[in-house]
Formats: sequence, C-alpha cells, structure tokens
Amino acid sequence: MRRVTSLFAVMAAASMALAACGGGSSDSTSTASSGGASSAAAGGGEKIKVGLAYDIGGRGDKSFNDSAAAGLDKAKADLGVEFKELSATQGETDADKEARLKLLAQGGYNPVIAVGFLYGGSMKKVAAAFPNTQFAIVDSVVEGAPNVTGLTFAEHEGSYLVGVAAALKSKSGNVGYIGGCLIPLLQKFEAGFVAGAKSVKADIKIQVKYLSNPPDCKGFNDPASGTETANGMYDAGADVIFAAAGGSGTGVFQSAKAKTKLAIGVDSDQYESAAADLKPVVMTSMLKRVDVAVFEYIKAAQAGSPLTGVQVFDLKKDGVGYSASGGQVDDIKAQLEDAKGKIVAGSVKVPDKP
Amino acid sequence: MATSTITEPPAADAPSGRPRVNPWLRAGSLILGILLVLSVTRVLSDAQDITSSGTAGAALRLAVPIMLAGLAGLWSERAGIVNIGLEGMMVLGTWCAAYGSLQFGPWAGLIAGILGGALGGLVHAVATVTFGVDHIVSGVALNLLGPGVARFLSSLIFTGTEGGGVTQSPQVAQPPSFTVPGLASGLRSLEDERIFFVSDAAGVLGGLVTGLSWATVISLLLIPLSIYVLWRTRFGLRLRSCGENPWAAESLGVNVYLYKYLGVIISGGLAGLGGAFLSLVASNYYREAQTGGRGFIGLAAMIFGNWRPGGLALGAGLFGFTDALQLRQGETSVHALFLALAIGLALYGIWGLSRARRVAGIASLVIAAGSLALYLFTDTVPQQFTTATPYVTTLLVLALASQRLQMPAADGLIYRKGTAK
Repeated sequence: MRRVTSLFAVMAAASMALAACGGGSSDSTSTASSGGASSAAAGGGEKIKVGLAYDIGGRGDKSFNDSAAAGLDKAKADLGVEFKELSATQGETDADKEARLKLLAQGGYNPVIAVGFLYGGSMKKVAAAFPNTQFAIVDSVVEGAPNVTGLTFAEHEGSYLVGVAAALKSKSGNVGYIGGCLIPLLQKFEAGFVAGAKSVKADIKIQVKYLSNPPDCKGFNDPASGTETANGMYDAGADVIFAAAGGSGTGVFQSAKAKTKLAIGVDSDQYESAAADLKPVVMTSMLKRVDVAVFEYIKAAQAGSPLTGVQVFDLKKDGVGYSASGGQVDDIKAQLEDAKGKIVAGSVKVPDKP
Repeated sequence: MATSTITEPPAADAPSGRPRVNPWLRAGSLILGILLVLSVTRVLSDAQDITSSGTAGAALRLAVPIMLAGLAGLWSERAGIVNIGLEGMMVLGTWCAAYGSLQFGPWAGLIAGILGGALGGLVHAVATVTFGVDHIVSGVALNLLGPGVARFLSSLIFTGTEGGGVTQSPQVAQPPSFTVPGLASGLRSLEDERIFFVSDAAGVLGGLVTGLSWATVISLLLIPLSIYVLWRTRFGLRLRSCGENPWAAESLGVNVYLYKYLGVIISGGLAGLGGAFLSLVASNYYREAQTGGRGFIGLAAMIFGNWRPGGLALGAGLFGFTDALQLRQGETSVHALFLALAIGLALYGIWGLSRARRVAGIASLVIAAGSLALYLFTDTVPQQFTTATPYVTTLLVLALASQRLQMPAADGLIYRKGTAK
C-alpha cells in the first residue's frame, strides 16, 4: 500500500508541476539590448529596469495583458529600458502575487508595474516593505501607499463614444450591452454606453445583460453564453451590441454574423484580431489603451519625474477612445469627433455609474 | 426507466401498488404538461420569449455539453468509479478538439476531443483501478491537470499563430449544421401567429429543427445508445455489475478491472466530446476556462437523473432551458417563470389533494400562492438573481423530486482483486 501512496504522490506532484509549467512557461527574462539604438533614444535619461507582473493569461492573451506588453515593448524600443516580466497562474493566492512582486523589487527593478486590480492587496504589503521602489498598478488604486501609482482609465468616456456610434448606426432604435461580469468596473462601461446612446436618441431602447456575477467571473471566458445572449438580444430587436465581455465577445460576433447584425468590440481594436469572416460585423471597438498608460508611466520614470497618486487616462490623454479600422464609422466620424470634443472640453459630463 | 433489468427492485419504480406507466407515455405527458403551463404563462404574462424558437434552440445548445458530461459520469459510476474529474477531461476535450479542427478539419476535431478526454479517463482509471487511489483525490488531481496541460500545450502550439495565444486558439472550422427544409419555415410562420398552445409547440419544435448541428444529433443519439448498451447487452450487464457488486462479478468470472477501465475511458471520451462541443459547436475556438464548471453541473444532472440516461437528459434539458431563458431575456422571462411555477404547483397541489396526499398538496398550494404573489408584486427580476436561475431551479427540483435516489451500490468503493469474502 505504501508503494501505491508514494506513486500517487509522484503523480500528484507531476500534475502540479505541469500545471505550474502551463502558467510559468511564459515567464521569461527579456533584457533589452544595451546597444547603440537605446542610447540614441530617450533624451539621455539614465536607463531604468522595469519589472512587470501580468495578470492570469500573461503575454499572449490577446487582451488586457497583451496591451500592457505592447506598452512595455514600445518602452524598450523607444526608451531602451531593460525589463523583466512575470506571469500569474490560474488559481494562485495573494501570497503568490506577493512573492512575485517581492522578487521583482529585490531584483532591483524600479519601477515595478502590476497588471490588474487583483494585485491590489499584495502590492500594498510589498510597497510598504520597499519604500524606495516605485510601484504602479493598472486598473486599481491602492490607498495609503505613497509609492504606489494607480493607473486607471475613464472607460465610461470611451463607452460614451461607442454608445453614440451604436445609436447612430441602429436602424431599429434598439441596442444592447453585454458585460462579462457584474462588477463596478464594467458598470462604468454600461453607464457611458447608455449615456452616449441616449444623447443621440433619448427614447432608444437599451438591453443590458451581464453574463456572470462576482466572485465567479466566468462570463469573460464563455463564448457559448455570449452567443446565446446576443441571439436573444438580436431576436428582441437590437441591431447593434456592445460586447464588454473579454473572450466571450467572439461569441457575440458570431451571433452578429449569423443574424447579419453589428457588434462593437472592447479594450483593443477587435477588428484587427477577429477572424476574416467576423471582421465585417465589428463596427468599431472601445479602446482602452493600457499600452499608453504603461508607456507613459515608464517614460516619466525614465525622465526622473515619475507619475504618482492616481493617474486617470481619459479621452484627453488618449487613454480611451474608439477604433475606425474597417471604415464602418467613417460616415459618422464628424458626430463622434464632436462628442469627443465636448467631453474633452468638459461641456459633457459622462456618468460612471448606471 | 422500465428498461432496468437487474439491481433494481421493481418497488422503486412502482411504489404503493400503482400500475407501472409506460415511461415513453409518462415522459410525453410530462413534456406536454410543461408546454401547456408555459403557453398559459406566455399568454398571461406576455413574456413571448419563453416558448420562442430562439429559446428552444438555445436550450438545446446549452444542454448538450451538460448532458454529455452527465452521460460521462454515468458510464464511470455505473462501473463503480466516481468521476469528479469530468471538468478536467472536458478541458482536455476543448483543447484537443480545437487543435484537431485546426489541423485536420471539424470532424477530426470532434474525434480528437473524444481522444483527449479518453486520455484523461485513462489516467483516472490507472490511478483508481490499478493503484486504488481514492476516487475523489484522483478526480481533483485531474481537474488540476487538465487546465495545466491545456495551458502548457497552448503556449507550445497556439502562441504566435494568427489569433492564438496562451489562453486561446485561433478560430477553427465548425462541423456542418442543417435546417430541416420545409418544416422549419412552416413552423416559423405558425409561431408568428401567436395562437395559444399551437404557436408555442411550433416555436419549440421549430427551434429544435433550425440550424441544428450534426454534432448535436450525434450527441443526442448517445442517450438511446447508452440505454441500449448498458441495459440491453451482456457487456452492459457486466459493466453495471462491477458498479453494484464487483466481488460477486469477480466470483462469476467477470474481469472487473477491465470493465472498470472501459467504463472510465468511455466516460472520459464522452466528457471530451462535451468539451469538443463547447469549442467547436457552441463557439468556434478554444478559450481557457471555457468549460466554466459544466463538468460539475453534468455530475449534478446525473444525480438528478438517478444514474439513468433518460433522467439525466431531463436534468440537462431543464438546466439548458432555464439557462437559455436567463441569458436571452432574463429579466422578463425569469419573472414569467414565477407565474409558470405558480400554475404548475397549483395544479400539482390540487391533484395531490384529490389523491388524499394532504401535506404535499397543501405545501404545493402555499408555495404556488407565494410564487404568484412574487409575480404580481414585482415587474422584473434583477440581474443578480437571474444568473442564478438554472442553478436554483435544478437545486429545487433535485430537492423536491428526487427522494428515492439509488446510486450503484459499490460506487466509490476501492475494489482489489481477490478480496471477496
């Protein structure tokens, strides 16, 4: 019997190792070449070492993390910074996150950037232990930690613009919003979208659905549910749907294609990432420029005047916006730019709560 | 099911001397009754979506993966091995199906999904049958292993491909689907007439024959096939005997280890097919965590169905239907469900009283009144609750209707050859 138990222990250990492998394989140390190119760039500031901790998914997730990675790559190309990136694994604890941030801080990486609000708790602890290191967290604000910068976005402002676009493009006067999970962050998207659509047509019908409830936010990875929800909304008369649902968005695009209706993507320009047969239904995308935020933060740190406190990347800073690839919003560009101008000028205040 | 041969005392099917009803007749009248209640509800509440063709189609697509997971659990547990690792096997199925479809086309994808899941089943069988590991422990290990392996393979194979990455595959080809010609359009126009009951029946039937994937048809055929193999063949009898009393089976010369292996591997294959359905039919790519706990729901459907194929299909159908309702027009449809519940329970209560089952009858009437009050005094159901509808419904029906659950007698026990007393 003991042999059996030990055999099983080996098997369990192997499974853990494999599971860890899955997450960890994207961990890689990438050191920028310190060749001539970098010294020519970046206005002569001292070269810095940037540590970046990804959320689950890591580099290559075709979403949020990839956007952060793009900012990091741009910083490497334009500013010649060195960096180390580490990735989170599925189902890890706060202690794992803490260890990851500590590893970066101890390795002399300064600033250390964490992607995703899940790092909030662990970052607060690590930041207190390393008072001389600058930290930044994307999508969250850490209270009571002077050396942590919150990099947040005015998602409601970008959503307002795609709401305007949806209302202008809708022939039936009926549009939809699908959120991945009923959390305040996504309610910001909803509030902006609704306000934007109503600014065009006060009596427009707006269908709203969230695919899941916290803490089990599986609605970001459930394309099957995305398809069925979109089917339901299109059947009930909607002809444009804004899908703020991560990986479930592809399901919404599929439904739009089957029903020959339109959809709006989120975070990145999803017209670019969609398969060829789905491109025609992606009318526009609400852009959330995590890459801009990461790059701007690194640039300021490189120049010796790091951004501190809470940094809101809004329309004015190009932190959010809409995409025009595919040319489907070219005919309403004037109205969209007009709405954008009003928000930037402050004459239109977009609500951030529904 | 009246198809049981051994291991099932007849009293379980026909308590208190009631005459045995033909199960097909019973299932048919149950479905007709539900449809009748729903069409009354539709007319009274004006929630048009509850019997629409869109809802019926969505219910079917949402039910099939759960049904396959439930069937997977059935094959394993009928052989006496608890399979809580269904979720992990489904994950392997989603990944392998996407890879197979990418490389060799959608049909190969389905087969790859089955093989991927079967491989997971093989691991579970080696651990539980050969090494006598506790079934739950091995199952949990598989649930950890599945996503880990999928992630690892994704980073090896999907990273750098067009649209693929560590968390998802590129978009892949789907198996073909078809619409029954003539029938679908006729039912469609009948549905639009909004006639009481006729349009409802037309809507439900129309949804089931429109845009039907061949993979769905194959999956549905696995239910009668499982009934036949498990209850009508010598192979099935031996496999079930390993789940009821492996020592007795051994004494009669059955190779228990072999049958347990086969049961668990078939189980893995079915779970893999369920995963393949998710990544190839319900969507068109592999996405990390796409199974979303459906393996566990399938296990619940199997218990709901009292370890019988017909019952678990009913459970999966109930889950798929309520899930479709809440996803499509949740706030109005789930609200209308309260009315349906009130009508259904009131009828049940009156029937109960007429049969002198006073307690059950009165309880039903009281719940019906409460449900009716909820319907009348609210306009819609908030989002936070609609999402939970399929889970709550399944739980309620499980709690109320499944009082005589009978799992295989040796289910979950560790069997060692030659330990019969």
